[in-house]
Amino acid sequence: MSLVSGPGRGMTAMPAEMQLYVDRHVRYIQSLDTRKDELEYWLTEHLRLNGLYWGLTALHLLGHPDALAREGVLAFVFSCLHEDGGFGAAPGHDAHMLYTVSGVQILATLDAFDELEERMKGGRQKIGQYIANLQDPDTGTFAGDEWGEQDTRFLYGALNALSLMGLLHLVDIEKAVQHIQSCANFDGAYGTSPGAESHSGQVFTCVAALTIAGRLDLVNQEKLGAWLSERQLKNGGLNGRPEKKEDVCYSWWVMSSMAMLNKLHWIDGEKLTKFILQCQDPELGGLADRPGDMVDVFHTVFGIAGLSLLKYPGLVEVDPVYCMPRAVTRRCLGK
Amino acid sequence: MPKYYHDDPAWSDIDPLPQDDGTLHPLAAIAYTEEYSEAMGYLRAVMAKNEFSERVLGLTEHIISMNPAHYTVWLYRAKTLSQINASLRDEIAWLNPTALKHLKNYQIWHHRQTIIDALDSPDGEADFIATMLEQDAKNYHVWSYRQWLVKRFGLFDDEEELRWTESMIESDVRNNSAWNHRWFLVVGGRDGQAIGEDVVAREIDYAKRAVRKAPQNQCPWNYLKGIVRHAQLPISTLKDFALEFADMRRPDDIYSSHALDLLADIYAEQESKEEAERALHLLATRFDPIRAHYWNYRKSLLEQAGTAA
Repeated sequence: MSLVSGPGRGMTAMPAEMQLYVDRHVRYIQSLDTRKDELEYWLTEHLRLNGLYWGLTALHLLGHPDALAREGVLAFVFSCLHEDGGFGAAPGHDAHMLYTVSGVQILATLDAFDELEERMKGGRQKIGQYIANLQDPDTGTFAGDEWGEQDTRFLYGALNALSLMGLLHLVDIEKAVQHIQSCANFDGAYGTSPGAESHSGQVFTCVAALTIAGRLDLVNQEKLGAWLSERQLKNGGLNGRPEKKEDVCYSWWVMSSMAMLNKLHWIDGEKLTKFILQCQDPELGGLADRPGDMVDVFHTVFGIAGLSLLKYPGLVEVDPVYCMPRAVTRRCLGK
Repeated sequence: MPKYYHDDPAWSDIDPLPQDDGTLHPLAAIAYTEEYSEAMGYLRAVMAKNEFSERVLGLTEHIISMNPAHYTVWLYRAKTLSQINASLRDEIAWLNPTALKHLKNYQIWHHRQTIIDALDSPDGEADFIATMLEQDAKNYHVWSYRQWLVKRFGLFDDEEELRWTESMIESDVRNNSAWNHRWFLVVGGRDGQAIGEDVVAREIDYAKRAVRKAPQNQCPWNYLKGIVRHAQLPISTLKDFALEFADMRRPDDIYSSHALDLLADIYAEQESKEEAERALHLLATRFDPIRAHYWNYRKSLLEQAGTAA
């Protein structure tokens, strides 16, 4: 990487094409909750708690952790919490693993587990139990909710949230690890379930779950690293599967996996940085999947988190396992 | 035409329940359009009194048509279907066009799986899948669902299944989902069962023919290497084939970085260090420079092997 990062050589010295529009992105994220008259707002209600986690994380990585009022965020998070310890996407939505993980991640980022206890006695334990109950005792994997749909995303989410709360002992880690092993494919990568096509997003969930479990030794690291680096296309962007188009969100799924395997240098960071920056909306803020497309908060956080992994100057360090500020995970995990 | 419930006699016994936002903070207040908001109010009301009925099916259908990603609605619909013993064939008939309207939605697939499982028959599913894949031939949900069908109904040895996969690969030789499905049928889904020599030969031949169509296509190369490894054949089995696409004596005529990559492995295994280095050098400098660091790393492994020997 030839990007400058020393003191006094920050973003202002950057050529226009290498500029990250921090203030615009902050304003974009702040504006998301003021757009309630738009159709899009209620059509994405099922993603509200995820969206809050994405926006909040992006703001923290941009160095503006206070841009959303802490109290308001917490009030909303608690309004999604069910008595059984699961979180729904929004008030009145059923509890589901994916929102429960976002809920825990937000509480961890805001250092708010004490407030959780004030609000719900034994809250942390209840959330942990909700997650633990979703583990399939036979296969070791996790369901997303009472429907029973299973996916390596849910397994990763479970280990992510439980580890942040110090409650990994509630589940059978060895069984979970065996399940991940069964999702490994002939090309060295991983899919959503045994036999399902390799996909960068699923690689992230499997590698991150194995990292949390302390079992990266089970990964064929050379082969997976090669498969991951093959995701980079000539325009610098990364794709999710062979022979598919590039998309900014894979900057996160692919790069974080490579970072966990210590192979981030196998791809061209400078070209990727340029590609991510081209996906910005320089006027209204936010990042899109690829240059010229409509921005959204999902691509915004994963683009910014990708830039953080690429050591873009001025950004807060991200933890590749959790997609949260490294300082936060250090505080929660004590390492 | 928006549909409302407040003036519908069939719903006059229900008082819709407004959204409980928990607090009045702006982050929590959620604005809907009127139609959606009213329908949700009626759904909350029927859920609160555990009503399962024909009209609930109509209501959930209405909400799903506006917002198929609302997983709670699907869940309640599934419960209703089983409580009132609704016709599952009718449900599938409704699901088909609904899935086509909402290609990226995944709740719908889980729902479908539950219904087909209860119906205990895959009849008609192949046709439906074909229609879905016409919209997006690499739709991950559709392929995952197809794998589930194969497992659930034991279609591994169904010749039609393999033939269909071939036709998908034929229409787009770069469709990695189709290649993965082939692997699943031939090797992956068979719980580690060994495959016969004739099948190995057939698959190697099949992948080679696909490479010849598009030598820079990752999918058949991955497949080819996978089969050779699975059959525990030495990778040098593929040396002559790789040379067809990457004769290092004539760098201007190299037209597959994947062939070069494979040759580098073969030469390394055969301890032809210089040749291996040459292949990796060509990759790093000319045929795949974006990954130069990776290829240089592979070169450094050769050095280490050399010192160790």
